Amino acid sequence: MKRRDWKGGVNPRRRRFLAVLVGTLVSLPALGATARRCKSRQISLHEADFYRPHDLEG
Amino acid sequence: MAVVCELCPRECVIPEGEAGDCRVRVNIDGRLRASTYGRPSAMHIDPMEKKPLYHFHPGSPVFSIATAGCNLHCLNCQNWQLSQRGGEEMEQIYRADPPQLIELAKENGCESIAYTYSDPIVFYEYVRDSSELARQVGLHNIFITAGYINREPLRRLCRVLDATNTDLKAFDDRFYREVNGGTLKPVLDALVTFREEGVWLEVTNLIIPTLNDDLSMIRRMAKWIRDELGEGTPLHFSRFHPQYRMRNLPPTPGETLDRARQEAMNAGLQYVYVGNVLGHVGNSTYCPEDGTLLIGRVGFHITENNLTPDGRCPSCNRPIPGVWQ
Repeated sequence: MKRRDWKGGVNPRRRRFLAVLVGTLVSLPALGATARRCKSRQISLHEADFYRPHDLEG
Repeated sequence: MAVVCELCPRECVIPEGEAGDCRVRVNIDGRLRASTYGRPSAMHIDPMEKKPLYHFHPGSPVFSIATAGCNLHCLNCQNWQLSQRGGEEMEQIYRADPPQLIELAKENGCESIAYTYSDPIVFYEYVRDSSELARQVGLHNIFITAGYINREPLRRLCRVLDATNTDLKAFDDRFYREVNGGTLKPVLDALVTFREEGVWLEVTNLIIPTLNDDLSMIRRMAKWIRDELGEGTPLHFSRFHPQYRMRNLPPTPGETLDRARQEAMNAGLQYVYVGNVLGHVGNSTYCPEDGTLLIGRVGFHITENNLTPDGRCPSCNRPIPGVWQ
């Protein structure tokens, strides 16, 4: 965007950058709180019989 | 670290984080996990005749369970919503570890537990642990399978099994490759193993028009059963209904089933049945000696049972092979 496209006020590029920055800073704690509330559950899975390790390169 | 699953003849090489061809045996951190252990997706009470087992505790109720997954991919699968999915794709997943499963079977007045619907081979460890507990409380264990399993795991499982109905889908390796995604030889080996290990064995052959209804093949199959498994091995010919990815073929004509039954009896098999045809003469059991009606059936319903308490023909006293009490 060229300087002549905006007159006075804040540069639109800067305005957009600031908006994204503020949005990110505000949403991070909210995401953290959600993640703590909905933490993944560990489901125990029974180990199978009749298998052996296999080296894919070999 | 990848692993090789040695349970069935596919011997899938499974990289970390992925599942075998059956979709339910999963490599997590280099260890193979049975992801559906204790997590059945189907539980019903069926009559024994539905399995079908005609020479094993006739008329008794069977607590029948299955988890998701299968190691074959039959184009005509009747239970594809269950068998051709991984555990995480199921709408219904119950929680029933082996002790709970035994309790459920007893609460519902069942004498047996059937591992069935999909193929119980893929939930092998769940079958084994449940069967061991079931044995301790006097329940019978029934394994309804396509028999696509390696010999060593099957031999170990046979120690806790009482009866099986095993599919012999055709007597033709090409059919197995094209229709089921498997091979014939391991299935024949499994049938022989069941016989050697003393598990009560009945065999089912689903006849699909134009694909496996050739009478010469049916004759060869019947002769193989007679020679390798015994002339007293019950053989069930089952009627095909268009299903899943094989809706282009018609249901099996009644005459085809009649001819197959006659062919198998001519080959020397003594108990040849016709299934999925209500009221067919081949629903019932007859004495091979004098033709006396021993057990009359209409579909899954027993209309009369004339066997003596120790499993003999009431007319000629001939012992009828089976587990009757």
